[in-house]
Amino acid sequence: MTRSPLRPLARILQARAKGENPDGIERENVRLRNEATRDRARTRAQVRLLMLSAGFMAAFSTIGVQMGSLAASVPTEPRRSGAGAEVSATRADILDRNGRVLATNMLTHALYAHPKDMMDPAGTAAKLAAIFPEMKAPDLERRFTDGRSFLWLRRVLSPEQMQAVHDIGDPGLLFGPREMRLYPNGTLAAHILGGAAFGDESVRSAQVIGTAGIELGMDARLRDPAQAATPLTLSIDLTVQATMEEILSAGMVMMNAKGAAGILMDVHTGEIVAMASYPTFDPNDRPNPVLPKDAEPGDSPLFNRAVQGLYELGSTFKIFAAAQGMDLGLVGPETMVDANAPMRWGKHQIKEFEGKNYGPLLSVSDIIIKSSNVGTAHIALMIGGDRQQAFLRALGLMDPSPVELAEAAKVKPLVPPKWPDIVTITASYGHGMSSSPLNLAAAYATIANGGFKVTPTLLHGTTRPAQQRILGEQASRAATHMLRRVVTEGTASFGEVPGYAVAGKTGTADKPRRGGGYYDDKVINTFASVFPANDPAYVLIVTLDEPVETTGPKPRRTAGWTAVPVAAEIIRRTAPLLGLRPQVEVSPLDDITAVKQ
Amino acid sequence: MSFLEYNVKTVPAGLSKVLYLNWALIMVITAVAAIGWLMLYSIAGGDIGQWAEPQMKRYLLGLVVMFAVAFTPIWFWRNMSGVAYLVAMLLLLLVEFFGAVGMGAQRWIDLGFMRLQPSELMKVTLVMMLAAYYDWLDDKRTSRPLWVLIPVLLIVAPTVLVLMQPNLGTSVMLLAAGAAVMFAAGVSLWYFAAVGAMVGGIVTAVFTSRGTPWQLLHDYQYTRIDTFLNPGADPLGAGYNIIQAKIALGSGGWTGKGFMQGTQSRLNFLPEKHTDFIFTTLGEEFGFVGAMSLLVLYGLVLLFFMVAAIQNKDRFSSLLIIGVAVNFFLYLAVNLSMVMGMAPVVGVPLPFLSYGGSATLVLLVAVGLVQSAIVHRPR
Repeated sequence: MTRSPLRPLARILQARAKGENPDGIERENVRLRNEATRDRARTRAQVRLLMLSAGFMAAFSTIGVQMGSLAASVPTEPRRSGAGAEVSATRADILDRNGRVLATNMLTHALYAHPKDMMDPAGTAAKLAAIFPEMKAPDLERRFTDGRSFLWLRRVLSPEQMQAVHDIGDPGLLFGPREMRLYPNGTLAAHILGGAAFGDESVRSAQVIGTAGIELGMDARLRDPAQAATPLTLSIDLTVQATMEEILSAGMVMMNAKGAAGILMDVHTGEIVAMASYPTFDPNDRPNPVLPKDAEPGDSPLFNRAVQGLYELGSTFKIFAAAQGMDLGLVGPETMVDANAPMRWGKHQIKEFEGKNYGPLLSVSDIIIKSSNVGTAHIALMIGGDRQQAFLRALGLMDPSPVELAEAAKVKPLVPPKWPDIVTITASYGHGMSSSPLNLAAAYATIANGGFKVTPTLLHGTTRPAQQRILGEQASRAATHMLRRVVTEGTASFGEVPGYAVAGKTGTADKPRRGGGYYDDKVINTFASVFPANDPAYVLIVTLDEPVETTGPKPRRTAGWTAVPVAAEIIRRTAPLLGLRPQVEVSPLDDITAVKQ
Repeated sequence: MSFLEYNVKTVPAGLSKVLYLNWALIMVITAVAAIGWLMLYSIAGGDIGQWAEPQMKRYLLGLVVMFAVAFTPIWFWRNMSGVAYLVAMLLLLLVEFFGAVGMGAQRWIDLGFMRLQPSELMKVTLVMMLAAYYDWLDDKRTSRPLWVLIPVLLIVAPTVLVLMQPNLGTSVMLLAAGAAVMFAAGVSLWYFAAVGAMVGGIVTAVFTSRGTPWQLLHDYQYTRIDTFLNPGADPLGAGYNIIQAKIALGSGGWTGKGFMQGTQSRLNFLPEKHTDFIFTTLGEEFGFVGAMSLLVLYGLVLLFFMVAAIQNKDRFSSLLIIGVAVNFFLYLAVNLSMVMGMAPVVGVPLPFLSYGGSATLVLLVAVGLVQSAIVHRPR
């Protein structure tokens, strides 16, 4: 910038020549220069002021535009956006075979806290403790004031509780919407359904994961978002299930048993129509029982005896030896077999029930009807250990059940590692190896359905692989006929249900003692039955744990007195529900009135 | 060299000063305050005693103080600037120490009849101090580094104290108002560009370093920043106020639900409905039309301020008015963008509308200073 001199020489000299004071020129120039500076500063200040004003204007317009867009917007309450993008919260419903709901989801709220937003932590803690008995006010207050900014208080709230918490009115208490699993039928089918719990949780939703039963067994299918809208249909019939549970629980009390299990299965498809285990629980509120140290696993209500219980199933196994023997052509129904008791095998002695002797010879039918251990042992020895093992394995008695329950795969039947002849003998009448009632049901279904392999399932209407024959039809019919005679003439006479031709086999096994040997007075009673005998449709297994029938002079612990009447009542009540017509059996006509054709 | 060129003869004296006050400004401000009383009456559910009456009393008291400040010659206030700044700084330090000894974040001093927040007071005294500084400073030195450093320190000292309280909203306002006065005083634009570039660089570095081995902050600090910048991500937590406010504004529509008919704000959906979020009630009950009318009133206030600043040939007066105007603007801009979800939630009240003593009184004192500058301006 060029500066004009304050004392330009020409003007000074001019002024001096005129005799004026040259300082006046300097003053004049200083004034001019100051004015110029001031003008520049003022211009700059004004420009900057205008820039500021422009900034104000811009901000104002932005606010005005935003105000307008808000006014034009339709207000929406905040909702879970993006369909649970962070936590997938969809879970398919579970229905019974007729479409009735077994498990569904219900919207509820979790309660959580932002302690930093709390107006009155102490008062809020006290009020919460008054609403929820499990909360302790001092404990809550400590957690509200120890500096954390977030904590969960409850996973689910009832509407009443939510209103009560809302009425506390503290801004630090917040509700997180979520879906919870609901079993509207309470304890019904508890062991099948299992239960569910919360997995990943956020304040906007929570993942529901299966913890047991079908919920865990089919967890991936139930959680699959693609199939969330398609409910999972089980083979269970809710009405039949309810009936069976009612009779089973009453029967358990009447027979003084500490546990009971029942399975009703379609012999052709393997679909389980009803399955129950007692004691039971409510899957809506799965208990977490603390058992004494010496308790059996079966003492927990969570234990599913039908699937998890491994029992020596006793005489119910005898029909397998008879059926296999007939199928192999080794014996016929009327073949006489050595039944002289007691039977000696090496250092072992095989006795009959209560030291009886049915010998010296007994027909195969009578062996089953009278439940002769010795006769069965002789048939088994004819078959041989290898063929016996292969047959039992084919029936599914030596492997974990393939049913869709999470617990099933973990339960491997107890099978002796080696198979000497003594094992062949004991296994033929159901001792020395343990299997589950569900495996027994599948094996009986094979005996009854004409000899086809049955895979137990809880899913309704799934396509099944081509049937695999493991027993000849002749042998199957003959075996079923023998089972029918057990009811009409043998140990299961209480099992007769008019019109439904029940066939079946009792089994009474002493409970193994912990550490070896057997109890004298603790038994597992099983009745494996098939009905109707002329065209078998269903298999029913009833197992009672430590039952004792006390109406007689001596306590009675055989299956014929305990499990059979319970099973008969179940058949009497459920057969009509299953759509079976009662068929009156025509007794053979007398010779006199018979007309020869 | 000072631009203070008072010709005392041209300055009105005695009661005749009343004629020279900017009465239009006073009327507009009173109109805004009256809207505030209406809203407080409505929010209290038709109860005048809960918030509206105390607020009216405070406003009238503030008005008296405003006249007293306005009648005092502006050169007195210029001479008192340094003292006022020091007093405010002392009060801030006092609060800081009492806060440390006493209970948590104590931001105010109890004067008996009201609670004074020194940080609010500092908003005015800082502007006065800076105006006086640039009035005293030779214009040629304005952009020299040393002479730029002094006002920067004057701004940073109280900002840090306020930030430690912690009060983010007020510290941002102190910084912005101080910077605006320096900008208006003619400090070279290069300084502003340099500071802007530096802040931008730091922010970029902080965010680009996220997730890399050399990241500058802890993960939880990033999470906090995220929540702060985008409260909508947690609609039941940090974002609750914002979303409820947006719902209230949206449900008002163009003409609103009518006086006393707002539900969103009166049904306790909004915890801060009578203070920082009072605008939502206005938006809900009077709609877009009501909200825009208020914006126009605020715009008028700002217009009066800017015209007064441009007209005033006295450098102190001019800068002071600009500082007050910027403060006023920041109050409403920060508050409104917060309420409309355009800015993070920081506790800044809406001038003359929100319930609260300190802000109203300080704003009226500031208006008094502006009036004094108008009355005593060189003619």
